[in-house]
Amino acid sequence: MRIILSTFKNSLIEAWTNRRSFWLQVSIMLANDLVWVLFWILFFERVSTVRGWDRSRVLLLFAILTTVAGISLGLLANARKIGQLSAGGELDAALALPIHPLAFLLVRRVDTGLLGDLFFGPILFVLAGEPTLERTAIFIFGSLCGAAVLVGFLVAIGALTLFIGGTGEQADLGFQTILILASYPVDVFGGATKLLLFTSVPAAFISGLPTRLVDDWQWTTAAALLTAALVFASLGVRLFNLGLHRYSSGARWTRA
Amino acid sequence: MTRTPYWAAFTDGIRRTMAAPAELAVRIGFFAVILVVFSSLWRAATQANGGVIQGYGYRELLWYVIAAEGCVIATKPRLIEEIGDDIGNGDIAIDMLRPVSVVSFRMAAEMGEAVVRLVCALSLGAVFGLLSVSAPPSLEGLLAALPAALLAVGCNLTMQYSFAAAAFWVEDAKSTWFLYQKLIFLLGGMLLPLELLPESLAGIARLLPFWTTAYVPARLLSGHAEWQLLIVQLGWLIVLVAAALAAFRAGEKRLVVTGG
Amino acid sequence: MAAIEVTNLVKRFATKGRGRRSLVEAVSGITFSVEDGERLAYIGPNGAGKSTSIKMLTGILHPTEGHATVLGYIPWSERRKLVRHIGTLFGQRSQLWAQLTARQTFRLLARIYRLDDRDAARRIEELGELLEATTLFDVPVKSLSLGQRMRCELTASQLHSPRVLFLDEPTIGLGLVAKQRFREMIVRLNEERNMTVFLTSHDVSDIEYVARRVIVINHGRIIYDDDVSSMRRSLLRTKLLEVRFEEAPRALSLDSVEVLKHSGLGYKLVVHTSQRSIRSVLDELLDDYSVADISVLDPPLEEIITEIYEAPQR
Repeated sequence: MRIILSTFKNSLIEAWTNRRSFWLQVSIMLANDLVWVLFWILFFERVSTVRGWDRSRVLLLFAILTTVAGISLGLLANARKIGQLSAGGELDAALALPIHPLAFLLVRRVDTGLLGDLFFGPILFVLAGEPTLERTAIFIFGSLCGAAVLVGFLVAIGALTLFIGGTGEQADLGFQTILILASYPVDVFGGATKLLLFTSVPAAFISGLPTRLVDDWQWTTAAALLTAALVFASLGVRLFNLGLHRYSSGARWTRA
Repeated sequence: MTRTPYWAAFTDGIRRTMAAPAELAVRIGFFAVILVVFSSLWRAATQANGGVIQGYGYRELLWYVIAAEGCVIATKPRLIEEIGDDIGNGDIAIDMLRPVSVVSFRMAAEMGEAVVRLVCALSLGAVFGLLSVSAPPSLEGLLAALPAALLAVGCNLTMQYSFAAAAFWVEDAKSTWFLYQKLIFLLGGMLLPLELLPESLAGIARLLPFWTTAYVPARLLSGHAEWQLLIVQLGWLIVLVAAALAAFRAGEKRLVVTGG
Repeated sequence: MAAIEVTNLVKRFATKGRGRRSLVEAVSGITFSVEDGERLAYIGPNGAGKSTSIKMLTGILHPTEGHATVLGYIPWSERRKLVRHIGTLFGQRSQLWAQLTARQTFRLLARIYRLDDRDAARRIEELGELLEATTLFDVPVKSLSLGQRMRCELTASQLHSPRVLFLDEPTIGLGLVAKQRFREMIVRLNEERNMTVFLTSHDVSDIEYVARRVIVINHGRIIYDDDVSSMRRSLLRTKLLEVRFEEAPRALSLDSVEVLKHSGLGYKLVVHTSQRSIRSVLDELLDDYSVADISVLDPPLEEIITEIYEAPQR
């Protein structure tokens, strides 16, 4: 754990070395998030509620989603790069160290832009999420579980590159898909799509379920969320470990 | 016509996009996800609102989304950044050695790439629309929407070039791609039809060029045969092309002076 | 004790060319062992399987078949135990964080290898002196030259006092002086603690200055394995003679000897030793001509290696 924290410290220092670009990227991300908030405010000017979701609930969902994104894509920025890194043979450095390569890779890079989300999410929660002590605790729990699901999912689809080859395009598509699906209230989706959101593209666990928990704590829902977090996290680790057997270190044998 | 370098750049752009089917498939796959998301959202929203929001029913909104998202997804999302990089690292100077207008040549190539994506996206959208609701609400609107879609992509490209030209003067100009994208989202009518915005905001949006990139083809396809919108697009296209050409001409001079 | 033991190691890669999947054999059953403290050069032309071999021995790649141990560990299944005791330096992949100073990376690596803070600081100073790099440690790595950076990379690979050092094309891209300097450093580290050195390169001078033993690999197979000095001896079919005459010889003609070049009174001759002994050539020269100075040289290693590559495969 101490090793992970030290690595993490270096990543933060590295992100911080170019201060100008740091603040620029963070403010761009904040502006981006504000546009989305504006979208929802405008949307609910015209539409009162959609299947039980009103403005304040959707803003709560958005606060959780940005927090989750800040953790999984900002702090653990390599989570969505696993496919690219494997295809490009860039796991070598991590494999030469006596720690788990996945743990090292995840904390190895911080994405400055997406750190903006990590500021934005909690601030939005404080402003629009009616924070009480209890709600705040659930907000944190839900965001952490959501982040575990998202990181596990991203690592898993990235690690697929080790099995199917290519340069990780499927991971990019999966990444964009899960984020956009998680940006909208889970209940607007019907039948098959909804089933998908609870299984193979687990967007519901990233934002929808945590939001529901903050508004209405149910032990069963909480247990389901926690289970999903464990399942997806271990799925990511498992697939990555298995994939390492097939890692080819970027050896360029095509057209040899 | 067929022998000009710009036509060659255009057809080359088409060929290039078709030669990378994986990339195209990812883009179109993402478009499919967006369609699923927005069709679900608008279905739920219209149901909750008694079937109609500001004159748009579910059927109208779905075709609106298909046109608006299709036109935006057809253009490269980070074009501003790409051009900004080329200006920043001086690659643009290499283009300037050719006996053609840099901006026109590049825009022709981008247009070629975009047309392929536009055709793919709109075909997929048409299938999706026909399967989930029915044909577009008005034939006249559909006929108007087709040229409007091309004009929308053209306006989008030229506007991005005008924005990107700022990179000749400001170092961080390329980061504006993100803000540009957001302006298209809201003021361009990509996420919400302009009629759903508060009136003051919608009024501002109608005065700016962004609505030519998404709202206009979407409004037409959603059954509103407002032909005058095409004239608005055409007008903006001329203004934007002129702006991009002027900005690059000024910028190139500066590059020659400082670049040595 | 053998530091490295390799038996019939094979690695095949699946490739996708033109839509068809096929297997390419990068390493086709290699066997060798390396003793503790040896300095081994593992050489071959580009694409011969050098990197693939070294990456299997460091646990990065899993082999398709065969067996290997490094310091008694099976690299791919006991990777984390093994890498505590080995150092790695890959010429084209940096271990250092570009935006940070080398010292910042060293501190992190010290944590990763679970070194005591004070020991680590002492070790960094020692290495800085040994590798003449102390002044480079507090500059952001991105502003170092390649040669300077490689000395920092070498330091990074040495923090945990590894017993084997694996180097994959470490001198690639370096200038002549920096290359030479880097080679001296490696020898120094080997002599300091009897650390085994396993070096891949396609630069023949790396062998000349660093290695005592050489393994040549081509098309995934070992085609030569011997001491550098006996390689020279057994493969030498020619010797070079540099002769300086007191007066210009009228016509220089000797059996089995070619004139490589001459200028004024200086001549460079090639003697085919398989046809005629060097001694008889020397005798004839000294008897029949007025010689001011004479010296006998080996041909450069480069030629010998080329000869090995071109020899029909066994």
